[in-house]
Amino acid sequence: MGDILGLVAKRLGMGLIILLVISIIIFFMVELLPGDIAQAVLGQGATPENLAALRKEMGLDQPAVLRYLHWLSGAVTLDFGNSIVTGASVAQTIGERFANTLFLAAYAAAIAVPISIVLGVLVALLRNSIFDRVANVATLTSISSPEFFLGYILILYLAVKTGMFPAIASLSNDMSFGDLLYRTFLPALTLVLVVTAHMMRMTRAAIINLLASPYIEMARLKGTPPWKVIVKHALPNAWAPIINVVALNLAYLITGVVLVEVVFVYPGIGQALVDAVSKRDFPVVQACCLIFAATFILLNLAADVGSILTNPRLRHPK
Amino acid sequence: MSAFVIIYYTLLLGASCLAAYFNKRSAFLLLFSLTLVSFILGIIGGVSALRIVAILAGLLGLSAMVSYAFREFLIAIASHNLAKELRTAPLTAAFGMFVIFTVAIAGIFAPLIAPYGEAQVITSAFAPADANMLLGADQLGRDVFSRLVFGARNTVALALAGTVMAFLLGALAGLLAATTGGWFDQALARTSDVIMSIPSLIFALLMLSIFGGDLANDTTSFWLLTGFAGVVGLLMVTAIFENSIVGWAVGLAVLVGVSTAFSGFMLIIFNPSEIILILVVAVIYSPRVFRLTRAVAGNVVVMDYIEAAKLRGEKTWYLIRREILPNSTAPLVAEFGLEFCFVFLLIAGLSFLGLGIQPPTADWGSMVRENATLISFGDITPLIPAAAIALLTVAVNFVVDWMLYRSSGLKV
Amino acid sequence: MPKKKDVLLKIRDLKIQGYSDESWIDIIKGVDLTLHRGEVMGLIGESGAGKSTIGAACMGYARDGTRISNGSIEFDGMELTTASESERRALRGSRIAYVAQSAAASFNPAHKIIDQHTEAPLQYRLKKRLEAQEDAMDLYERLRLPNPKEIGFRYPHQVSGGQLQRAMTAMAMSCRPDLIIFDEPTTALDVTTQIEVLAAIRDIVDQFNTAAIYITHDLAVVAQMADTIKVLLKGEEVEEASTKEMLDNPKEEYTKSLWAVRSFESPQRHRPKDGVPLISIRNVDASYTGGDKVLDDVSFDIYEGMTVAVVGESGSGKSTTARVITGLLPPSKGEVLFKGEPFPPSYKDRTKDQLRQCQMIYQMADTALNPKVRISEIIGRPAAFYSGLKGVALKNRVDELLDLIELEPSQYYNRYPPELSGGQKQRIGIARALAAEPTFIVCDEVTSALDQLVAEGILRLLDRLQNELGLAYMFITHDLATVRSIADEVVVMQHGKVVEQGPKDEMFTPPHHPYTDLLLSSVPEMDPNWLTTLLEERGVDNVGDAAAARIDPKDPKITGVNA
Repeated sequence: MGDILGLVAKRLGMGLIILLVISIIIFFMVELLPGDIAQAVLGQGATPENLAALRKEMGLDQPAVLRYLHWLSGAVTLDFGNSIVTGASVAQTIGERFANTLFLAAYAAAIAVPISIVLGVLVALLRNSIFDRVANVATLTSISSPEFFLGYILILYLAVKTGMFPAIASLSNDMSFGDLLYRTFLPALTLVLVVTAHMMRMTRAAIINLLASPYIEMARLKGTPPWKVIVKHALPNAWAPIINVVALNLAYLITGVVLVEVVFVYPGIGQALVDAVSKRDFPVVQACCLIFAATFILLNLAADVGSILTNPRLRHPK
Repeated sequence: MSAFVIIYYTLLLGASCLAAYFNKRSAFLLLFSLTLVSFILGIIGGVSALRIVAILAGLLGLSAMVSYAFREFLIAIASHNLAKELRTAPLTAAFGMFVIFTVAIAGIFAPLIAPYGEAQVITSAFAPADANMLLGADQLGRDVFSRLVFGARNTVALALAGTVMAFLLGALAGLLAATTGGWFDQALARTSDVIMSIPSLIFALLMLSIFGGDLANDTTSFWLLTGFAGVVGLLMVTAIFENSIVGWAVGLAVLVGVSTAFSGFMLIIFNPSEIILILVVAVIYSPRVFRLTRAVAGNVVVMDYIEAAKLRGEKTWYLIRREILPNSTAPLVAEFGLEFCFVFLLIAGLSFLGLGIQPPTADWGSMVRENATLISFGDITPLIPAAAIALLTVAVNFVVDWMLYRSSGLKV
Repeated sequence: MPKKKDVLLKIRDLKIQGYSDESWIDIIKGVDLTLHRGEVMGLIGESGAGKSTIGAACMGYARDGTRISNGSIEFDGMELTTASESERRALRGSRIAYVAQSAAASFNPAHKIIDQHTEAPLQYRLKKRLEAQEDAMDLYERLRLPNPKEIGFRYPHQVSGGQLQRAMTAMAMSCRPDLIIFDEPTTALDVTTQIEVLAAIRDIVDQFNTAAIYITHDLAVVAQMADTIKVLLKGEEVEEASTKEMLDNPKEEYTKSLWAVRSFESPQRHRPKDGVPLISIRNVDASYTGGDKVLDDVSFDIYEGMTVAVVGESGSGKSTTARVITGLLPPSKGEVLFKGEPFPPSYKDRTKDQLRQCQMIYQMADTALNPKVRISEIIGRPAAFYSGLKGVALKNRVDELLDLIELEPSQYYNRYPPELSGGQKQRIGIARALAAEPTFIVCDEVTSALDQLVAEGILRLLDRLQNELGLAYMFITHDLATVRSIADEVVVMQHGKVVEQGPKDEMFTPPHHPYTDLLLSSVPEMDPNWLTTLLEERGVDNVGDAAAARIDPKDPKITGVNA
């Protein structure tokens, strides 16, 4: 077991280092601006007094490294400073939105993961049949479509024309959980369509890869029935690739969520990021980017750790 | 029960029975499962749902016919060897080639095809389609069809430029890293790991928030471009001249000239904000290209013939050019198509968010955004540019899928 | 061996097709086979003969991408080609079992060995779990696996290759089948390990009077195992006869040529008196980055125009020695001298002329030639690179080289490697080495991937070139027959050390270092009684790893050599 713990610790350490490097990138990219943030925010026409006041407020009179350390120590305690545009605390502005985004992603994942893994395994078993080919074309089409295309089609047919679901996913605090699920169904469905296609294809590839191994043929030649070949011989070895597929696609959800939130006017962190970028509200942009990147890294890390833990060769060292 | 429904089921069942009779097992399975699905759809959605199915089937049949004819056309005009390859193309790939061909024609001859100018206001906002305007007018009264044609030119050109630059940097670095190995390889691999652990759309937004405002001017974009070209050139010089000092001197001189000329040329074609967009895309996607190229070249580098060439005393550039590249072209070409799709979708997404290609330049992503309000009135105008984006990426993916299957080194 | 005369398996006019390039092609073209109860039949042939495909077909099984297109397969009165899939499946594991070539890949890494062993008996409800486990341990003991009570509870990756192969044989026996298909079960093993597996397989098949089909390309192995031998060539039967008759009196030309392969032997050359060796390896230690020492104080000399064969099992360091000489792996200690002058340790620091002197020929001709480069350039490049030849002079040189390796220049000049056969590719590899005009060539297992007839041609060619051009060879091989035919001197390596070296004629006459003894005696011979005699001499427990472990480090023959 010592081996495994060592490997896991190593991965965790790597993840932390990458996160640190990314925080440096995110923070210091803003330093590339000509002049400084204050200049960029207030534009060419700003008076020297205004500039000086804003600089003082943002602590720009201090050296960059000090400001970075200050920002980082704040970020660790979820304090990202104040928005330049509204003056409100960044953590408060995006905190609730982040929860909304996580809810939407979880909603989509809860539908997509089981469906796509089952379908992926099924298509792998029926490989080269007509269903496999139809599934191939369908998933390829779904992957190639931009999220807003799928989103608007769903709005057009399921909201505008038939009125089955609301087109705009507005949330309020006193909604029941069922109501919440109903109102956010369309954005979730859009995400499901994209992610399911990805996951199905990857699951299929992973399973087919596995079915070509000699030990699967051996199991068949031992007279093991087909379902048992899959369940007993393929699946225990398929966990690592499947975990990878799931984590990769959850990470993909995080990115896809930005466009979907804009289409459905969903009050999530993606909307906040897009607004902040167009208003050049740098503290918000930095905070959002850091949160997205951290989630992304965390998921990849989870996948790595998952595949280490399910690898029989590592679990039972010599 | 309308006549349509009766004809619908008669045709489906008749076709299923015929397929079963002639032992076309897969065709039968497909047709009959469609019949069963139709029962359910008919009960839930009524006649209109069946009508949609029929229209979709008709469209599918039509595109299949177009694809078939286009493939035969290509086979007829291609050389012998190429024709042999083309014969193995499935209909989906032929369809993909047809769409790519159409978009290319539309883009190249845009001013000739489009009836109106790119930014020409000809009527009132959201005017419906008529004999002059195939698809109606947009929110400012511009012809949607003309903008769609010009959009093909602008969006695709931008995505192509971004992909080519990402490829130049990524592929060159990947080949070099795989060939030389050692600390150079490790350093590049770690760097790409870091960049790839920021989601691409998020990273793009971050960079655009910084370079989007005053920085999108001629001078900045010129220097950024020259810098990028310089890095690519530096890799090239490293690969070609290795340790020769004279070589380096000559190479650097040539490099300065070429990269300045390149930047000047790019500035003539694109405006500064577009160049920033291209660079952002190139920076985001070059690590992905790097990783793949390194993997592909890595599979070649372990071959004994590379060892033989190294032991002969061959230089890095010879190894890359004569030994590694010929054996990596197939997966690299496929990867180019795949990356193009990603880049294209990213640019479309950014434009849709209002952060990519800026008005009044016609572009598919921003066209969706500009007309989005129409959706709530049940108008499909915003879906048309969105569908165009989907169609092109699907087309490229279909072709790539076939190429990957042919080279079979990288079955997805 | 008592023989029941009733027929167990009867195959008539079997045709199997394989799918390639979008069409079905016959790979088995009408083979008949009759196997009686308790009989062991050897299926033998070169690569592509269709042995494995027939083996799978005996179980009514067609691998992915193949299909049985014609003929009948009758197992114990049951027609397999028309039986339903579930009927056929019910035979597999219970009445017909299979032993695959690579046990390491064919055991599921996720389950313990004994759980995989008991899967079939439990599936067929022949035994309760505990009974089945008891039985497994009993079989492990009969197959002389170490710790039979405990070994089954390990995972496959925790057990060595030779032991896994025996565990797989035990697994095949778990339902006491009527027939076992052995598909090259010892091909991936070293010679010393091979013996223990062969002995175990033969014993267990005897004990339970199981019929078996033993598939292999190695004549000497099949001679030990089989009662009858069937020779296959390109999907067709050449001939079939009892083992003894087949060995003494083969009828068909093809079979005779297979038997005749080992006849080639080049006359032994001797070291020149007080000359300087061409290549001299002096006290070399080497290790891969971060790893243990792979070479430990290796020294030997190679003289001009002579062939030194370096012999040893996998992991003995023979290929690493070649990498040190060519400069791919700089040694951590010691040096390589060329005509008395030290060679820079890394190839990167060697001059063009130093690189030219020392060329290499590889084991796998497929990976040694760039598939996307024309033959003319593969051979022409070294000539252009080292000698600066261009235009007509270069073309003449390439033609000359193609002549030298007995290929018609006009036919091969513009072709690509994938269009050539294995033997032709290997010849191109030789031509590429010759194009540099070297004095010394490293031959790394150059014949082991080739069929025997082709390999013989390559050996003769190398021998002729050596005589004509005065080349020195370092011949890395694990095959003692190759050593016998081409070597002048032999170096035996084990665990990164040279255990014995000397002229060939001395090496093949005792007394030896005990490891050399073990190695020499472990190579199967054509005599059908070889294995029996050997086991009688050594004792059944003194083969393979056990024997290697038993070598006494204080043996005077060892200290004598290293002193």
